[in-house]
Order: sequence, then structure tokens, then C-alpha cells
Amino acid sequence: MKFQLKLSHKGIILVSVPLIFATIFLAFLTYLLNQAEHEVEAQIRAKALVTEAGNLQKSFYDAGVAMAGYSITKSPLFADRFDAILRQIPTILESLNSLVGDNPKQQQVLVELKSIAYSALKILKEAKNAVATDEIDMAQMKARSVYKQARALTDKLKVTINDLTSDESMLVNKKSNQIDSKLQVKIFLAIGFLINIIIAVFLALFFSKGIGSRIEILTDNSIRLARGQELNALVSGNDEIAQLDKVFHAMAINLQEAMEKERAIVENAADVICSINSEGKFAAVSPACKELWGYTPDELVGRKFVDLVLNDDLAQTIQSARQVRQSKVTTSFENRTFKKDGSLVTVLWSAYWSERERSMFCVAHDITQRKLAEEAIKASEERIRTIIENMLVGLLIITPTGFVEAVNPASERIFGVPAKELLGKHVLNLFSESKFMNVDNEYDRKQFLETFFTKSLNRVGEFDAIKLLNTDEDFPVEISLTEFNIGGNLKFMANILDVSERKELEKMKKEFVATVSHELRTPLTSIRGSLTLLSVGALGVLPEAVKKVVAIAERNTIRLIGLINDILDIEKLEAGKLDMVFDDLALSNVIERSQESVKSFAEQHGVNLIMAQTDIKVHADGDRLVQVLVNLLSNACKFSPKGGNVTVAVVDIPNWVEVRVIDQGRGIPAKFKNLLFQKFQQVEASDSRKKGGTGLGLVICKGIIEQHGGIIGVESEEGHGSTFYFRIPKIKEPSEINKIFLKQA
Amino acid sequence: MKVLIIDDEEDTRSVASMSLSLLGGLDVIEADSGEEGIRKASVENPDVVLLDMMMPVMDGAATLDKLLTNELTKHIPVIFLTAKAMTSEIDRLKRLGAKGVVTKPFDPTMLASQVQAILES
Repeated sequence: MKFQLKLSHKGIILVSVPLIFATIFLAFLTYLLNQAEHEVEAQIRAKALVTEAGNLQKSFYDAGVAMAGYSITKSPLFADRFDAILRQIPTILESLNSLVGDNPKQQQVLVELKSIAYSALKILKEAKNAVATDEIDMAQMKARSVYKQARALTDKLKVTINDLTSDESMLVNKKSNQIDSKLQVKIFLAIGFLINIIIAVFLALFFSKGIGSRIEILTDNSIRLARGQELNALVSGNDEIAQLDKVFHAMAINLQEAMEKERAIVENAADVICSINSEGKFAAVSPACKELWGYTPDELVGRKFVDLVLNDDLAQTIQSARQVRQSKVTTSFENRTFKKDGSLVTVLWSAYWSERERSMFCVAHDITQRKLAEEAIKASEERIRTIIENMLVGLLIITPTGFVEAVNPASERIFGVPAKELLGKHVLNLFSESKFMNVDNEYDRKQFLETFFTKSLNRVGEFDAIKLLNTDEDFPVEISLTEFNIGGNLKFMANILDVSERKELEKMKKEFVATVSHELRTPLTSIRGSLTLLSVGALGVLPEAVKKVVAIAERNTIRLIGLINDILDIEKLEAGKLDMVFDDLALSNVIERSQESVKSFAEQHGVNLIMAQTDIKVHADGDRLVQVLVNLLSNACKFSPKGGNVTVAVVDIPNWVEVRVIDQGRGIPAKFKNLLFQKFQQVEASDSRKKGGTGLGLVICKGIIEQHGGIIGVESEEGHGSTFYFRIPKIKEPSEINKIFLKQA
Repeated sequence: MKVLIIDDEEDTRSVASMSLSLLGGLDVIEADSGEEGIRKASVENPDVVLLDMMMPVMDGAATLDKLLTNELTKHIPVIFLTAKAMTSEIDRLKRLGAKGVVTKPFDPTMLASQVQAILES
């Protein structure tokens, strides 16, 4: 593997190698200097040692001379000199001792020297004493002895001192060598310095070569990138320059991709992107122009931009283009332009003028559809506004707190005041409740609003409104509230219909029905009564032919009465005003009463009635239930064959009781089953004439049963008879009710 | 049994009268207004009064009130004869103090027995 260094590593090497070398060199130099210093010190000491050794030898010699003098002259002068010299010797020895230091050989010699010196001193002192006591012989003997010893000692001393000084002399002799070693240091210094420079220069050259060439490649790459040329291959190495080159290459790739994307966007944009030069000609156009105008970019480049514009829009377009040139920001304008095929397309231009390029850069967006949609919305709004403004129903937009925010003209008519009198008012002001509630009291307003919403939200509620000009004038209105949201704000729309006229009509209708009821019944009572009196022979026996026509008249009068009764019942049922008096009663009672009513009718038709026995109790209007059962039984008798059976069965099912009237008649085709309970529907059109009946009976039955909370229906198969049934809730037995209470307790 | 029929409608009165007398075998007296009816009731002392509801000047309710407050007539049971067949109306009339209600148009063959049944109830 090739050993690769980072730029920082190279820098460290460039500095640290000469530094290490210089440090080693300096250490060695310091060592040499220390060495030299030691030598100088040793030479100084050797010199002192030689001098002191000489002094010692001289002292002994001087002491011997003084002794000789003293012994001859006995002069105290010599004695004093002798003493003085003797006193000096220990001092010299001490001095020598300190100079010898830690040299073991010299220490050895010094010990010997000291012993000799002290022996000589002793002898000298003895000699002096002998002289002093005039023991001349002794003294001379001593002196001789001393002399001998002294000679021997002196010789020994000489040898020892010579030994002691020989080392030092050697050192002193080294002096000449010192001159040589200084020169060596100088040479050494020069060589070291030179080597250091060589290393530094070598390293600098070595590293700069690799860096410089690669930086040149980087520079070249940047030029190539600017020109859009392909880059050089990646530079070698793993250092910062190589990293930089890698980043540079990655950047170049990203840039290339971005440019390609941009080109793709421009080329594939749904909008046309183009530039128009200062002469007003297309300089460049994106391919979308083919889609927008039907021209290829080549067909448009060089053409005048205004050639595309519809004449009517030309002046405005030129004006807009001028504004774009004057404005420093992107400006929008619309115009209609021709397609190649001559059709028109509405375009929204977003344009920007570049002073540097002397061109207008534009994005042209097709808004034809949007314009059409806008026009459609406008037309639709216009239509809705027209409807709202001309509708007969009043519209109020109300806030959740009940204040009027908007009204339509119908509301103005309904409340008799202009819109401004309604806007901002609380709805309580508009109703008769305001006569006994305080419109300024928030509690009252809330109370009313609660009723108002409960009665009319998503349903139709009836209220008494008041005319705002004359609050005494009440009039009935129907209101339906619808909740809706505008921009997240909850609002309510109240549809208000003045129902004064309708109410008046209803009242008239009611009176009319009552009048008809009375006015028709009164003459019918006389007719029917008279006919019956005739037919039963109360006024004498009638001839057969007369009897026949009287019977016809009587039968049809009864039918007419039935029809009037049915119509009145239907009228009441539809108005929800059929009187019902609910009571707890035995179902058996209803069945017996019904049987009683239809007994003669069944006999006339030769039909047998088979009635069920039951002890079930129901909560019902007995008369109305009888009316239903009689109706079903009459129908069954009418459509049963002679000698057939009509059966009433009671089925007990949980919570309900079902009463079934089963006949053996012709049955009902499936397609009529659903029509049976609608007004004036009979299976055969001729039935009403042949069988009598109004076609209203089952409708009334259905209404009555539904008011009991029950259901009514028919099961039948053509040719196999029919079963009409109704099902109503039955009364719970006391024990059952107790159970429920116990459970709850 | 003597029945007083009070009805302003002559035809109705005649039919009812004949139904009761010819078919029911009852004695019948007639009055064509409330005032006449009250007068005849106090004079003739019938066993029952058949009273029409809708009459001009004095209607059935007012006539009944007079009959019930008159010492001479207050004991006579009154049965309304009315074209208003609504249950609530019948209840209302009963509350006024009538013994019962027979709705128009009535079945002439059944009228006498209907009256009998109400009186016995």
C-alpha cells in the first residue's frame, strides 16, 4: 500500500524533522561544551595542585635551612622562621586536600604525602627541641637523623609530589589539545547547520512538488467548470487537496444535474417561458408554446410578440409591457392571444424586465378555462343573487348569538321595514315574544333563542312575527333554520315564509269542511230517513217496482253518507286532527262490537263470521279501532264467495297484539298490495260501483292504526284469499309492570 | 214514552218524528226552536228531549242550559242530535249535561232503540 500523507502531516514533518535534528545537534553541542568546561576546571586545579605541591616541597626545604641556621646560630630569628614555616605546612596540606577532590589515585597519594609530611614535621620539631635544650649532640644526632629522615622524606615527598603533580601536568599538557577540540566543535557546528538546511530544503522541495501540481489541476478544473467542460480526473492522494478535488467533482456533478433539471423544467413546463427582446421580438421560447399557441419555438423566435395579441387587447398589452419595463419587479397582465389555428386563448403574463439583458422575461399561463370558470361562477352568483333578491321567502343570516347580519328584499317586505332597520337587531325584536320579553336583556334573548333554535333548526317551526313599523300587528310565519359555515364562522340561515294567507285559507277550509259536514248531513238525514221509512214499510206497503227504486235510492244515500264521513276523516287525518280518545280496553269488546256492526252485512253476502276469543287488553281509541275492524270485515265480506268464511284471529306476540282478518276471496295481485293503502285505490276500477265503498277506507284504517303507534298490512296471493292485519301495542300486565319497577328499584 | 224533538230543520224533525212514532211506537212532540222547545218541555213534560245542536238564535248548548236550569225541565234527560260526529265534540256535549249523543244522519230503524239504550245506560 502506498504510504499517503495528509497536507497537515507533511507540514508537521517539514517543521519537525529539522527541529529534531537541531535538538539532537544542540544536545551534543552542550555535552561537548560541558566537557570542555570540565577540562578547563581540571587544568586550573592541576596548576594549583602543582603550585601547592611545590610550596610544600619548598616549605620543607626552607624548614631544613632554618633548622640548620638555628642549630648553628641559635638565633631566635631562625627559630621564629622555622616555626612560621612549620605552621604553614598544615595549611598547605589542607589546601592540597581540597584541590585533590574526588580523584582516588591522588587521594591515595595525598594520604601518603600527609603521613610523610607529618613524620618530617615531628622530626623537625624534635630537632628544634634538641637545639633549644642545647643538647647539641642530641640535636646534631637528631639533626642528622632528621637530616637523613628529612632527606629520605624529602625524596619520598619529591616522589609523592611528583606522583601528585604528574596527573595534573598531563592535564596541563592537554591545553594544546584543547585548541584542536574547539576547532572540531566549529566544524561540527558548520556541518550540522548545513545538514539541517539540506534536510529542510529537501523536504520543502519534495512536498511542494506534490502540492503545487495538484493545485494547478484544481485551478484548471475551476476554469473547466466555468466553461462547462469536462473536469480532469480526480487528483491522487488522500490529503485535503484530494478531498477538495473530490468535493469539487461532486459539486460539478450536482451543478450539472441542477442545470439539467432546470432545462427539463423549462422545456417541460406547462407554462410558456420566454424572453422578448427590446424590439418586442421573441428571443427564446420554451417548447410549451406548441401546446399554448400551436407554434414551435422556432416559428416564434424572431416574431413580434404583439402579432399574437388580439387587436382589442393590443393597446392594453403595450401599456402593460411599458409598465413592466418601468417596474423593477415582476408584473402581471392578461390578454387574449391567437393560436396558430386562429382560435383565442386567454393568457396571464408574469413579466420581468432585465436592464442588463435588455430583455423581458415572461411566463405565459393559459387561463382560458379559469376565465370561463370565473365567468360561470359570476353568472351563477348573479343567478343566485337574482333568486335570493326576488324570492318570496325571506332570508335572514343570523349569528349564533341571534343577531341579524344580512337580509334579502323579501325579509324587508315581510317585516315591513328597510334592510337597515333589520341589520344588527336581535331576532327577538322580530317576534311577538318581544312584547313580554326584554330585548335588551341577555337572559331573555338567550331564552328566546333556545326556543327559536329548538323549534326551527333543520325543521319548520311556526312563530308569530310582528311588523316592525307597527309592533301590534302579529302575523304567522314559518321558519326553517339551517346551519352553515363561512370561513370557519358558524352562521344560521333563516328561511321565513309569511303564512298569513295560508293560515287564513286553512281557517276557511276548516270552516268550509264543518259547514259542508253539517249542510250535507242535514239534508242527507232527511233523505235517508225518508227512504228508510219507505223501504221498511212504515208508511204502508209499497208496490215491488217502487220498493226496488226506493232501495236503490236508500243504498246510494247511505253510500254518499259514507263517502262524506270518509272524506271528513281523511281531512282530519291529514291535518293530524283526527280525534282520538285513548283508553285501556279489552280487545274482545272491540271484536264483539265490530261483529255486531257487520253481522247483517255478512248475512246479506252469505258469509260466515268466525271470531277469535281473547283476554288481551289494549290502550286504544275503542270507537276508532271498531271503525278499522269493521272496515276490514266489510271488505272481507264483500269480496268473499257465498258460503265462505271470514275469520278474525288474534295473535299474541311480545309487546304487541296482532288482529288478522282472513277471507277466502279472490286475493290481491302483488302489484296492488302497496297501492291498497293509498287514496281512491281499488283493485278493479269497477269495484267501487259493484261492491260499493269509496276507496278511502283502508287509508283511514292506516291513519288510525299509525296513530296508535301500530302497523297495518296485507298478506295475499291471487286466487287464495287475503289476510289483512294490524298490530298495536298491548298493555303490560300489572305483574309485568311490577317486574319492571322492581328491576328499576 | 213521550219524546220532544227540538230541531229548526222541519224535514229532519219529521223524519225523526216518524222514525220514533211509526217504527218505535213512541209519542212525539216537535218544536222548531230552542225557545219553543223549552216552552213545550215545561208544559208537556216529556220523558226525553232530542235536541239539535246547530240552530239559529238559541243553539243546542244554550237550550240545554236553559232546560237544565229550569225547575220544571231540569229532570228531563236530553239527548243531542248532531251532525258533528267528532269524539271530542260528543265528549264536550256530554260535559254540558246531556245524557247522550246521536249523530246525524241516523238510521231511522235504529233511532228508537238508540234513545232507549242511552236512557237505560
